[in-house]
Amino acid sequence: MVRKTVFIDFSKCIECRACEVACEREHNGMSFISVFEWQEMAAMALNCRHCEKAPCVEVCPTNALYRDEDGAVLLAPQKCIGCLMCGIVCPFGIPELDLINKVMGKCDLCAHRRAEGKLPACVETCPTDALLYGEFNEIIRKRREKFTEKTIELAKTGENIQLTGV
Amino acid sequence: MSERLVPVVCPYCGVGCRLYVRSVDGYPVGIEYANDIPNISNEFGKLCPKGNAVVEYLLAKDRLKKPLKATEQGKFVEISWSEAIKEIAERLKAYAKDDPNQLMFFGSARTFNEPNYLIQKLARMLGTNNVDHCARLCHAPTVSGLKAVFGAGAMTNTYKDIEEANVIFIIGHNYAETHPVGFRYVLKAKERGAKVIVADPRFTRTAWFADIYLQHYPGSDIALINGLIHVIIKEKLYDERFVRERCVGFDEVVSAVEKFTPEFVEKVTGVPAELIVEAARTFATAGKGVITWAMGLTQHTHGHDNVRLLGTLSAICGYQGKEGAGCAPMRGQNNVQGACDMAALPNVFPGYQAVTDPEKRKFFEEFWGVELSGEVGLTTIEAAYAADKGKVKAYYVMGENPVISEANANHVMHTLEKLEFLVVQDIVPTPTIEFADIVLPAAAMLENDGSITNTERRVQWSFQAAKPPGEARPDWWIISEIGKAIGFDKTGSRGFVYGDAADVLREINACTPQYRGITPERLKENLAGIHWPCPSEDHPGTRVLYKEKFLTPDGKAHLAAIPEYRGPVEMPDEEYPFLLTTHRYVGMYHTVTMTMRSDALKKRWPEPLAEIHPEDAEKLGIKSGDWIKIETRRGTYPSKAKVTRTVKKGVIAVPWHWGANVLTNDALDPVAKIPETKACACRIVKITEEDAKRLIEKLPSVIPKLDVVRG
Repeated sequence: MVRKTVFIDFSKCIECRACEVACEREHNGMSFISVFEWQEMAAMALNCRHCEKAPCVEVCPTNALYRDEDGAVLLAPQKCIGCLMCGIVCPFGIPELDLINKVMGKCDLCAHRRAEGKLPACVETCPTDALLYGEFNEIIRKRREKFTEKTIELAKTGENIQLTGV
Repeated sequence: MSERLVPVVCPYCGVGCRLYVRSVDGYPVGIEYANDIPNISNEFGKLCPKGNAVVEYLLAKDRLKKPLKATEQGKFVEISWSEAIKEIAERLKAYAKDDPNQLMFFGSARTFNEPNYLIQKLARMLGTNNVDHCARLCHAPTVSGLKAVFGAGAMTNTYKDIEEANVIFIIGHNYAETHPVGFRYVLKAKERGAKVIVADPRFTRTAWFADIYLQHYPGSDIALINGLIHVIIKEKLYDERFVRERCVGFDEVVSAVEKFTPEFVEKVTGVPAELIVEAARTFATAGKGVITWAMGLTQHTHGHDNVRLLGTLSAICGYQGKEGAGCAPMRGQNNVQGACDMAALPNVFPGYQAVTDPEKRKFFEEFWGVELSGEVGLTTIEAAYAADKGKVKAYYVMGENPVISEANANHVMHTLEKLEFLVVQDIVPTPTIEFADIVLPAAAMLENDGSITNTERRVQWSFQAAKPPGEARPDWWIISEIGKAIGFDKTGSRGFVYGDAADVLREINACTPQYRGITPERLKENLAGIHWPCPSEDHPGTRVLYKEKFLTPDGKAHLAAIPEYRGPVEMPDEEYPFLLTTHRYVGMYHTVTMTMRSDALKKRWPEPLAEIHPEDAEKLGIKSGDWIKIETRRGTYPSKAKVTRTVKKGVIAVPWHWGANVLTNDALDPVAKIPETKACACRIVKITEEDAKRLIEKLPSVIPKLDVVRG
């Protein structure tokens, strides 16, 4: 099954938090992606990984967490009882408790936008393309292609580059 | 229920991003990314946090909805539009009859080209050239400096060229935080293999991506740039052919930079000599290079010279007039370039035509049908001092907030109190409104339509996405009504009778050479906009300036030779041992009138944090999160401290959004008339929270509660 998720390229994140604001707008005042600053320098965004073997789905006593046809892990608030189990077992600490309704909330990969064939809001807005939406192998393949292209480009222009034996 | 997607231009910074506002029956409910429009300045519809929160401020609870009149300072009653306009027209007419130079008009870089054109037209038809706007506080040296070197004060290239450059020199500009969408192009260039050189007193988010990082002291830019030029000339890395054919004054430059050896520059700026040599070599040998700068470079008493030196650096390397190279001043406001083009400036007519030039004046006298003044008017800071002396008696402020944005804010407030008559036209209550006699509610940018010019000279049309609240009216409508009430009621270009914003733009087409071909019909069809200069209606617009020749009288670049080093006016001493500089946050915008009314942004950037180097903090016993009091010769400002290694030792950095300008120095650059807000001496004292609260009460509140009697 091809699972598309949001991948994060830490080397490009500039901690502008556009993804947070976009997520907040799309999800009625709750942001399910958060950006952290590390040692005053590096920034990293963190969101739900929609794991293949998701512990939150396995642990949920009421089956409130389920997968949709794209493989994204969603939460049905009608079934959720706010037992916080999913938040405890999640290695990233992603599901959060909505204090008003006492149910959990988490990233749904912008289900309403995917239904219209659009990308998730955080990916759509990221000014530096630090967030990538796609399937793991596809992204890796693109990376390799890019690198190879660059190498060939260099080999064409470079004077003393020997490609024999590589 | 009719849901529409309306294409607008983001009302925040100068990148000029396109987006769609989703509006239901004229009520904005959300946004959609404009990833289907080709060639826009934010490719694929990327937006920064401010752009994402763009509809929130429109729905602020305290939007101005009716004209107000002050009964005493800070107390208002509601009045009707006709009363307000009648009173303003009468007062302006009376002052103009007495002496038109008693009036001062403020244009606005936050609104469209059309109102800016109209406000300067109103000022000039009343007989004064006292019209200025906030470009005076940010990019005045850019306009004057680039004009001196190349002949026009605008970005010489576009974002596409930044993407194609081989080296990008970013100085005094926290690109990643102030223009995240623009920074996208820097990163794309870097991925291609371009080198990035960053010079900044703070190790900013931008410096994190730099290949070479030069950490100099605030205000030591002249030495730094001269040092780079010195190395380039000494090692013969400059573009000899370009210098010979297209520049004048090179010999003076050679002798002027003689003494700026890397060792001398290291002493002055604190940047290691080998880094300067390396940066110079990297920059000069890349083949295509872009220099970008912003307020960190211009807000100095030598801002004009800084910009001329950067132009010189770019010219001697031959980085002009070709794609992938150029000088890119990054504008901070959505329409600051447009407001300058429309001549909301004291010394030029629309299209940078000097008021002192009798020929140009004759054309506009013909065009507007009145006699015009040939004297250069007052700039913002000069007007404040003239008002102090009683020479200027009335201000008309459109969409500006001088209390927070101008240097030495205490003096500005004192001035505003002294004024006899102050009209403020704005969308939300600002600290400036406290001093107003009449307040006019304006429609926000997304609530009316008009043309807007971004930092790369791209003129775009923004459509109306929402209904204005209450009785708020578009800016152009307000000024045209006032113009008609004063008595300029002829049709055509000799009066103020307009049907809509497009009418005003047609008049701009008729009198501004650069905008001649940029008609409203073309702009409405072409959402990606047109780059000026565009001399005729079939002209596609100009991406790169100066391909054939420069716009100076002799068509050559006039290189600047600045032999003597000048630092900040106020250097640290025994009494005030630290150097204060100001910066910005990515999610906050200028005087926070819009962003603090937006929950998503307010939550993430709630308050200013003064940045201190750990060694300095240790001496003073300050930890992160402590309240401190920053004092300069002009004022005091309480703030929470953040101990961080990002600033240089001996430097304090404060974000200025919440009114830190009570501290800054209003010493002026002699040419550009910009105050030195980026460097002054200060001292720090640790205080308790109660003291801080008391001090905060004394400061002007950034989001004031207006005392209004409902009429």
